[in-house]
This record gives sequence, C-alpha cells and structure tokens, in this order.
Amino acid sequence: MSKELGLIGRRNYLLKRNPRLDELKISFKIFFSNPTAVAGLVITLLYFIDTFLVQFFPWAIGIHDPNQYIINPYNPVPTPPSPQHPLGTTYGGIDLLDAILKSIRVDVEYTLLIVLSGALIGLVLGLVSGFFGGIMDEILMRITDIFFSIPYLVLAIAIIFVLGRSLDIVALSLIIVWWPLYARYARGQTLSIKQMTFIEAAKAAGTRDFWIMFRHIIPNVLPPIFVQISLDLGVVVGVFSTLTFIGFSPTANIPELGYLTSLGLNFVSIAPWAVIIPGLVITIFALAVNLMGDGLRDVIDPRRRSV
Amino acid sequence: METVLNIKELKVWFYTRRGIFRALNGVNLILRKGEVLGIAGESGSGKSTLGLSIMALLPYNAVIIKGGSIYIKSKNTLETFDLFDESQLRRKFSMRKNRRIMNKISNSLSKLRGKLVSMVFQEPMTSLNPLLQVGYQIAETIVAHNSSYLAKRILSRIKVTNSDLKEVLNLVTSSNNVEDELKRYAKNKGLEGIESQILYILGRKDLSRTRKERAILTLKEKKKNFLTMNYLKRVAENRSLGIYSILDRLPFVKRFFSRILLKEGYRRAVELLSLLNIPHAEKVVYMYPHELSGGMRQRVAIAIAISNNPDIIILDEPTSALDVIVQNQILQLISELKSKFNLSFIFISHDLSVLAEVCDRIAIMYGGRIVEVAPIDKIFYEPLHPYTKGLIKAIPKITKESMTLESIPGTVPDMRNPPSGCMFHPRCPYAMEICRKQIPKSIEYNKDHFVECFLYGEQ
Amino acid sequence: MTNYIIAAYDLKKYFPVGGFLFSSKQTVKAVDGVNIKIKENEVLGLVGETGCGKTTLGKLLIRLIEPTSGEILFNVPEEIIHEYEQALENKDYKKTGKISKQYSLLNKKGSELRKLRRYMNIVFQDPYSSLNPRMLVKDIIAEPMLSTGYASKKEAEDIVFKLLEEVGLTPEFAFRYPHELSGGQRQRVALARGISTLPKFLVLDEPTSALDVSVQAQILNLINEIKRKYSISLLFISHNISVVHYMSDRIAIMYAGRVVEEGDKNSVIFDAKHPYSKALISAIPKPEPLREKIFVNLQGEIPNLINPPKGCRFHPRCPVAFELCGWTADEVLSDLEYIIMQRYAEYFKGIKSISIEDDFTLNILCENSNPFDKRLLEIIEKEKNELKSLVSIKSIKQESQNIRVELYRYIEPSMYKVNGSVYVRCLLYKNNDEKQR
Repeated sequence: MSKELGLIGRRNYLLKRNPRLDELKISFKIFFSNPTAVAGLVITLLYFIDTFLVQFFPWAIGIHDPNQYIINPYNPVPTPPSPQHPLGTTYGGIDLLDAILKSIRVDVEYTLLIVLSGALIGLVLGLVSGFFGGIMDEILMRITDIFFSIPYLVLAIAIIFVLGRSLDIVALSLIIVWWPLYARYARGQTLSIKQMTFIEAAKAAGTRDFWIMFRHIIPNVLPPIFVQISLDLGVVVGVFSTLTFIGFSPTANIPELGYLTSLGLNFVSIAPWAVIIPGLVITIFALAVNLMGDGLRDVIDPRRRSV
Repeated sequence: METVLNIKELKVWFYTRRGIFRALNGVNLILRKGEVLGIAGESGSGKSTLGLSIMALLPYNAVIIKGGSIYIKSKNTLETFDLFDESQLRRKFSMRKNRRIMNKISNSLSKLRGKLVSMVFQEPMTSLNPLLQVGYQIAETIVAHNSSYLAKRILSRIKVTNSDLKEVLNLVTSSNNVEDELKRYAKNKGLEGIESQILYILGRKDLSRTRKERAILTLKEKKKNFLTMNYLKRVAENRSLGIYSILDRLPFVKRFFSRILLKEGYRRAVELLSLLNIPHAEKVVYMYPHELSGGMRQRVAIAIAISNNPDIIILDEPTSALDVIVQNQILQLISELKSKFNLSFIFISHDLSVLAEVCDRIAIMYGGRIVEVAPIDKIFYEPLHPYTKGLIKAIPKITKESMTLESIPGTVPDMRNPPSGCMFHPRCPYAMEICRKQIPKSIEYNKDHFVECFLYGEQ
Repeated sequence: MTNYIIAAYDLKKYFPVGGFLFSSKQTVKAVDGVNIKIKENEVLGLVGETGCGKTTLGKLLIRLIEPTSGEILFNVPEEIIHEYEQALENKDYKKTGKISKQYSLLNKKGSELRKLRRYMNIVFQDPYSSLNPRMLVKDIIAEPMLSTGYASKKEAEDIVFKLLEEVGLTPEFAFRYPHELSGGQRQRVALARGISTLPKFLVLDEPTSALDVSVQAQILNLINEIKRKYSISLLFISHNISVVHYMSDRIAIMYAGRVVEEGDKNSVIFDAKHPYSKALISAIPKPEPLREKIFVNLQGEIPNLINPPKGCRFHPRCPVAFELCGWTADEVLSDLEYIIMQRYAEYFKGIKSISIEDDFTLNILCENSNPFDKRLLEIIEKEKNELKSLVSIKSIKQESQNIRVELYRYIEPSMYKVNGSVYVRCLLYKNNDEKQR
C-alpha cells in the first residue's frame, strides 16, 4: 500500500506520530517527574514574568516609574513590613516590594545579557578551536587561558576606571570574564563528539566539513551548553549583584538588587529586613535556576532517557 | 558426584522506570564438583543476572522473589530473608524495603565471597584496582579469607630444620609422585604449608638444578620475636586474637602485624601467578594492572578468584575482550585448573564455540529460564530444544563445503513484556496450542539431559 | 577481463606519538607496507588480532584517513594493473605516474573526491555510536546520497523507503531516532546508509561483533543478499575467523601492520603456511566438542608498533624461526645475560659484562682468559630450542679477555607466491617463490 501513495501521502500515513513531538513529550515527562526541578522552573518563570511585565506593561502591576526608586522624603527611616508596605521600607523610605519588582527586571535582563553573550562568543570560539585544531586551536586556547586568569574584580575596577561607572560597563567586564568558560566547555564537547564514529561515517559519506559542523556537531554540543547556561544564570546574578553591592553601580538611582541590599546596610541592626529581603530575592533566583538546570541535565543525558 | 551448587526456582525481577524487567523466571540448575558448567544465552536471557545472584551482587532495584533458593553446599543463602511474594509486588512493594533486604543478603554472603564463591568478570581492566599492585590485590584476598594458611606457611619455614630439608631433597629426587609424598611428609612432621613452597621452587624453569636445591635449603628462617610468634600461632590455629586484636588497630603497630601476613601473601601470589603460566612472576607481583596485557590481567583476576580454593568459581564472559590466541590459552588454563585441583566452574558466555572448547555440560538460557541442559556432546550433536537447534545452526563453522547460516526468525523477547507460556513460542517452528498457554516443566528426556519443551512428553 | 576495484601498493600509515609539537620522531607504524587488491564482486576477508592494523587499513582504502605513503588505485581494468605492476618492478616511474594520474584515489581533491565517494562507503562496528543520536533514521540514510550529489532531496527520500525495505525494516523506522532501535536494527540502518549510493566497494569493519548470535546470522545473510543483488565488492574485517571464512572469497591475515598470508579462503584456513596463521587458526574455538585438539602454543605478546621487531615481525614468537629471520643484538643480549649471569652462572664466574657493539655484534668482557667460548658454545647448542634468539649466532671467538659474538644478518621477507593464488610473507617459502619465477 505504501508504494501506491505518493511521498506526502506516505508521510501522512506513517506520521500518525511526529517523532520530534514524541521526543519532546518524553522530555517533559522526565522533567516533570522531578519535583525540585519543577519548583525551580516555576520560580524562575515568576521572575521572568516580572521582568516581562515591568519591561512592557509596568502599569499592569502598579509600577509607574520602572527606572527609578520612589524616595519618600517624609519618612526616610526604614519601617518594618506593614499593610501599606508589605515588605517594609528601606533607606530613603523606599517601599521594598515596589523596589524589588523593579530591580528583578534589571537584574534578570543584565544576567541574561551577560550569560548569553558570553556563551555565544565562547561557543563560537570553542567550536572553531575544537573542530579545526592545529595552530588555531593552540592560539585560541592560549588566549582563553589569558582571559581565564584575570580576576573579575580587578578587571571590573580597571574597566570602570577607564570607561566610567555604569551597569553596562559592569556587564561588559563580566562578559569578558565569562566567555572563556564556554570556550573551554564547548571545545571539550566538540572534541569528544569529533571522536564519535558517526562523524567518521559522515566523512566517509562525503559530507563537507562545514556541514559536519552544522549537522552533526552543533546539535550535539548545544544541549549541554544550554544546561550550562541555565546553571550559570544563578552564578552570574550573584556575581553581578555582588559587584553592585560593593559599589560599582552608578551613583544614579537605578534599581538593582545588589544596590538595594547595600542601601539597607547602614541600618542592618535596626532594620534587618532591609538587607535580608533583597538578599533572599537574589538567593532564591540562583537556587531556582540551579534546580531547573539540574532537571534539564537529567533530560538531556541520553543514558537517563533510554532506560 | 557431589553437588556444590543447587538453584531452585530462582526468580529475580528488576524495577525500572519503564516497567518491571523479568530477568530470571524460575531457574533450576545444579553444579557438580570438578566440572565446568557452561551457561549459554543471548542478551536478555538473564545469564549475567544469574551469576550476580549467586554472588549476591545484585543492584538495589533487583527484587528476589520469594520461593527461590540458592543452595551453596547445602546451605540456602536466601533462607532467612523476608522476600517479596509475586502477588505483593503491585501493592506492598517498597524500594526502601527492598534495598534493606538486598543489603542484608549481600552482607551475609560477604564473608563467603572469595572463600566459597568467587567471580571473574569480563573486563579485566575495570575489575582490577588500577591503583594497587596486582600482587597486593591477590595477597589482600588471601589475608582476608585465609590468613591461617599464610601463618602456617611462615611457621613451617621457622619450624623446619636443615636435616628435614635434606630429607626432602632426597625424597624429591627419588620418588615418582612428588606431590603426594611431600604432602604426607609435611603432615607427619607437622610442617603443613611447606609443600606448596617446595613444589613452587621445583617448578621454576629459570633455575638450574643446583640453584633449585640451594633455594630449597635456604627455605629455613630464623625464629621471630616472641610477640610475632605468638601472633602467628594464634592466626594459624584460628584462635581468638586476644590482645592482638587491640594491637592490630594501633597506628604503627598494626602495620607491623599486617605486614607479615601481607608479605607472605605476596609470596603466595608469586606461586599462583607462575601456576597460571605468567613469566617472571616475581617481578609481575609488583606491577600495576595498566602495565600488563589483557591476557595477563585476566590471569591475575583468575588468580584472585582461585586463591582461596573456593568451591565455585563463576566466570562471566572472561574471554570476550581477548584475542583468539590469548583466549585459547586462558581456556586451556581453565581445563588444567579443573583437572589438577578439582575446582568447579560456571562459565557464562554468548559464544557457543568457546563453551564447546572447555565445558563438561552446557545449560542454554532463554527468557530467564534454563531451557536445556546436557553433557557437551549431546548439546551439539543431539540438541533437543528448538532454540538450541536454531542457535547451533546459526553459528558460522569452518567447513570446506559451502554452507548457509540459518537464522532464528524474530528477536529476543522484551523481558518487560514477555510472551505468555513458553517464552520461545513466537519464534518456534514447532509451536503448538499448549505452548502459548503453559510454561513447560523440565523433564529428563535422556540420561542427564534435561529439556523444557512440550515436544518431549506429557506435562 | 574484470576490473580491480581497489589496488593498494606499499601502503603505510604511521601515527605520530607524543613529543612536543611533533619534535619527537617516534611513530606508531600501524600499517607498514601493505599490498592489497580486490576484484569486482569479490569479498576479501581481513583477519588479525587487536592492534594488527586491520581497521586502519580498511579506513585507508576508502581514504577516510590519509596514508603516510603508498598508492591506492580505484576501479582499474586488469590489463592496466598488470602494466602498473610491471612498471613498478622495472622501476619505470614515468609509466606508473601516468597510470596513477588517471586511477589514483590519492590525487583527487574537493568535489572530484566527493563524487568518487559515492562508489565507496563503510559500515562500522559499533551500532551505538555510528549513528548520530539527534538525527532521524531517514536523514541518516539519506546523508551519503545528498553529500555526494547522487540524488536530490526529494529523490533521496523515496530511495530511503526502498532501502529500508531492502534491509528488512518497515517504513515507520524512517521516522525514528537511533536510541529507539535495537542493536540489530541499528546495524541494518547503518547497512542501508552504506549502500544508499549503490557503491562498488564497501568496507565492513566488524559489522556483527556487537550482536547476538541469531541476529548476527540474520545480518550476515542480509549482507550476502545485498552483495549479490547490487554487485558490491566487500572488505570484510573481523577478528572472528569463522565469520570471515563464511563471508569471504579470499582471506588476508595481518600481523603487526603487515599482511603475512593471503589467498583463497580454503587454502588459507585449511592449509595455512605462515607459522602465525597456523597458530591463529589452530586457536579458533569450534563448536565440535570432544574433538582432537592440536594447538600451536605461542609465547609472548603482540609487538609494540613503535619499535617493531626487525626483519619478520613475528620472529620473536615464531616456533620455527631460524637465523635469518630478524634477530638483532639486543634480543640476543637478554638471552645471553640470562645464561651467563643466571642459569649457568656457576660456569661463567669471571665474566664481567656483555655489551652491544652494533646490531650484529656483541662483546663479552672477562676477568681472566679461561676458555669460556667452548663452554658457551656447548650451552648454546643445548638451549637453542628454548632461547630462540641464540640460533642467530654465527660465531663466537675468544681473544684473551674479550669474546666476540657475531650474528647472521637478517633478510626482510616479502610476499612469496607459494602456489596458484596463495602468498606468504615468510622466509621459509622464499625458495618456492624463486622456483616459480
């Protein structure tokens, strides 16, 4: 019967199932069977939703000035949580809930920028280095080593000194420090995939190097990189807010979690919530993203899938 | 003939994410003393699980079903445990409880492992510890299970006198049956443990006659200090160690005591390795596994397995990772060991040709059951079970005339969803109605030739 | 007149080992001077133990890896092969160059090479890593067709379904991922991929070693069917000699990077000439229990390919090695040391040291002028059978306190024609070959 149908007909007849969809379904099943991963996912989504809303529809959640904190000149002393201020206020009478919602957006956006840029640069360099090998590999790896050895704090100070204080500059210095990690990781993955027999089979089939890179290597390198990215989000948000906490943020009143935490620092003995709450917000994000990343790793690892 | 292993109705099922994997479904098997029993089967037949079950080395998600028993020398290793019933599996099963049960079984057998049953695995590189010298690994297992033998050896060297040794030399040159005479001599003089040392020296090919004699004469050792002598005597007679059990744990002192036995273990390791035809055994004991070739490593693994004269030695695909010539040497070695020391082996393999070279009887496994077991010539020249017949026709044989390989249609069953009745019926050319409904029981169709198939009689 | 699909001459592949940026000159001589020819519609079986170079050779023949030196000609008519071989013997490099220009596999580049790739392919041993886990079966099978330009995307899709049928799989398999298939099914997919461009030459590297016995039989029969139907020449590589015998017309046995025996399958198996072949074949396990077993026992192990033994690579382990086989001073040194300093030390008290002067000469220094040489000669006669290297000693001359030991110079064995179509790389058959010429 299959010989009589045309190709499209045959495909429709056989495609009572779409293999890619089925794979996706199995992935979901594995991911959702892991309660901590699901919790991580939910929390992370909450943060992303906040970011999205504050970026595009801030009035929807009652935020009128997304790029600034509202200073209350009449009552600049930090007050504990109360019905008007559900999370209390901090230095300058800034309402914590309002401030946090604004700051999350800034932090998440910058973190995504840093990690994705670093990953992209590192991925490209690592792939090229691992795939072509030889002198290019050696040179790129030495360059990576040099960047690896730079402590991010010192670099941040140096760049800020030259280019001035702003969150963008902080992000830039972190990107510079972060890409070597991905370069090394991507190179390792590329090398190990290059050894696999199906690459030899592709060469024997006459496939050009270019195609081998795109058809065979990248699809196999990307999944572990995605996992690494999701795990890194947690680390980077911590580093970023640490830098702003110790004072690298511009003196202007830009909402950011690290900066927010530092605001409450002077009052930590009388108003601990001013420090603890913003700190917790950072920590919870890092934790959630980590749990989610772990869950993703389970999904990606082929051994766990086919049991 | 004496039976060393008797397995009855053994059922082992695995709990996996995708369902219950029924690895063993009622295995009945007997191993006799001094024989090599082959277990043949393809992937999914359960042969590796069988080996691990005897050793109690199963993973935590393995469930041993109540009703099965493994008798090692008339002691049931599964006796005292509260195993799950088949019916309980749906509702009352808890992985934590199973874990505890498996732990207990494993622990109870751990004292016997090495002494009663030992195992040689497929990959010698991963079954040996890469960080320890091979001599240490052999010595360690002897010290753990049979330290009294080592102590006896040391004491015999201390006790023997020069005149005794001269008598031995005369005995060796004049007698025909050197081994037995030596054993008798040693026993009479209370010098147990010296015979194997003398035999080893006699067997060395790299020494001339005079050097051998000199080596034997220099076996005598001086008496050691009082503490050590006392320790050795206690160990040799398996008496309680008393004060030594405390001394044995003190940091510096313990090195001193464990060292003596370990050093003796190394000497014994040298003897064992040269028994297994490893050249320059005195140097090899100080080497690490990665310095040796595959064949040598496998010999080391075999040396560890036989070092305590266990009643049962299980070999799980020991030669699959080796080349043809080395494989042949190892197979000959096993035959030699069997006839020389009357050891009993279980040889698990998927390669029937390899089994044909070395086994006395072969058991064919399919779908977690033993479908046929018979002496080796009967299996190959008069197979009964349709699966056995199919397997034999599927083996490429070297013949001058051209032949065609016949394959068995279909594939091995998915043990998560096994077929009803006889596991083989979907692929069997002779399948009948009853094969779909019932599991055939084992019958002795010919002398010592058992088969599970409805073709061979009323059930 | 048939064509020779593949003809390789003096093929060598040396892998660099260690060293800082290739400064060290050490190489692993994986394939060291192999000549091989396969005719159209012929199956050549390649057997050998681990590390003998058979997999490397298989990959060289389809230019999956580049040879260090040597020539590979593709799809050459028989007369041209004769011309080429004659020219090689006469050292007429002009002529060989002309033939190479047209038929060589090695001088093709880029798209020309890619077009040639449609005529050759390879099926690997491990069905679990030879298929890209993230590609659908249909894409895996179609890849060679698309990469070599054999078919367009639409045509290829059609052919995929026909191929699946050919290898015994139903059409749904096209839309599955490799991890959903069993080992046997994956190997069928690999086979479908291998024949998708209707190649003339297929290399099968241990295609059934990872499979169960019953599945192996199915796959082997499938390969035979396909070979017959599409007239494909095969290079069947395996360490399982029974399987190779079943599948091949001719068999070549490799040892330490060289072919040591080659001929039609029954001659090689039932009438093996080379001592290694004899040992190898006697060691094959056969499903014939209780038969009379005669083994040739071999000592030692497969040699190190960085510094392989000189002359015949097998000589250190050969039970019938004689003086011309490849012995050098360092091999004799260890045996002499063993005799003089260990086993018979009592007769040689007064010998200080043994040293190597060059590849074929050793010097033994003594403290006094006792006539050690006579004693030594006696003992060597006695121990010749066990310590094989001693057969290479030509003369022992003592001059006061120095004994000079001279060895025979070895001859490098080449492939000698024994009869009809059997070639053996062993000096024992050198005379046969000379008679034939």
